[in-house]
Amino acid sequence: MEETPRQKYTEKEKVEVFNNEFLPHINSMYNFGYRLTLDEDDAKDLVQDTYLKAYRFIESFQKGTNAKAWLFRILKNSFINDYRKKSKEPSKVDYQEVESYYNSDDVDRQITTDLRVESLQDMIGDEISNALNSLDVDFRTVIILCDLEGFKYDEMAKILDIPIGTVRSRLHRARNLLKDKLSVYAKKMGYKNP
Amino acid sequence: MSLLDNPFAGSSGNKISCLEMLQAILDGDATEEQQQYFRKHMDECLPCYKAHELDMQIKQLLKTKCSGNPVPADLVEKIKRQVNSIS
Repeated sequence: MEETPRQKYTEKEKVEVFNNEFLPHINSMYNFGYRLTLDEDDAKDLVQDTYLKAYRFIESFQKGTNAKAWLFRILKNSFINDYRKKSKEPSKVDYQEVESYYNSDDVDRQITTDLRVESLQDMIGDEISNALNSLDVDFRTVIILCDLEGFKYDEMAKILDIPIGTVRSRLHRARNLLKDKLSVYAKKMGYKNP
Repeated sequence: MSLLDNPFAGSSGNKISCLEMLQAILDGDATEEQQQYFRKHMDECLPCYKAHELDMQIKQLLKTKCSGNPVPADLVEKIKRQVNSIS
């Protein structure tokens, strides 16, 4: 994220910024934490750590700017540094993703997915949630940021420290992977695909 | 607006694929003019119409089914207490 000149806040102002600009995002922050860690206790710890860091570094936050993106970026970094290390599993994202974007195979695949709208209507919620949770964390993250939280490309690029082109291609891949998972559920539910 | 003047085409004038238009719409990156163009385009392009319907439904499902986990009741108070202790 761009360097913001260090702000000077009084103790009273710090508390005001914290209460009025940071805390209102607690619901989204907790959901993000939960969707990353997939554990309620870990999510609580992660959100708590994030808010404490946000307070500690409040002078790098400029009052009235995009607090939500700023907080999401801290949470994402805390997750990578403190939680992801604990898991031995390396990230599975293929970093060739930009190069392989928009190739013709992918275009065909997008348009001819065997998933049907009718099958989605019978999914009660667990299926979609499980499908999302089963995606590799890097793919899961872009879906959360875009579809659940409505962040724009430039905001996602800053939160994730990746170029906008990578955000776009990762979202594209993530959507296709999600559809693959949903197709499996649809088949289990008895929907016959053409 | 004529379909000939594609507002998705960049300054390079490259032909834009259905997939690229659909993704801009889906990702919330399309301008009002682009959205209008795409709505018109869907009248003539069945694959786009179907893909858009499916993708938007998934997006909607994600939004309604995967957000809104209630924040644990004590979390905000705990955070406030800790902030007070370091301020």
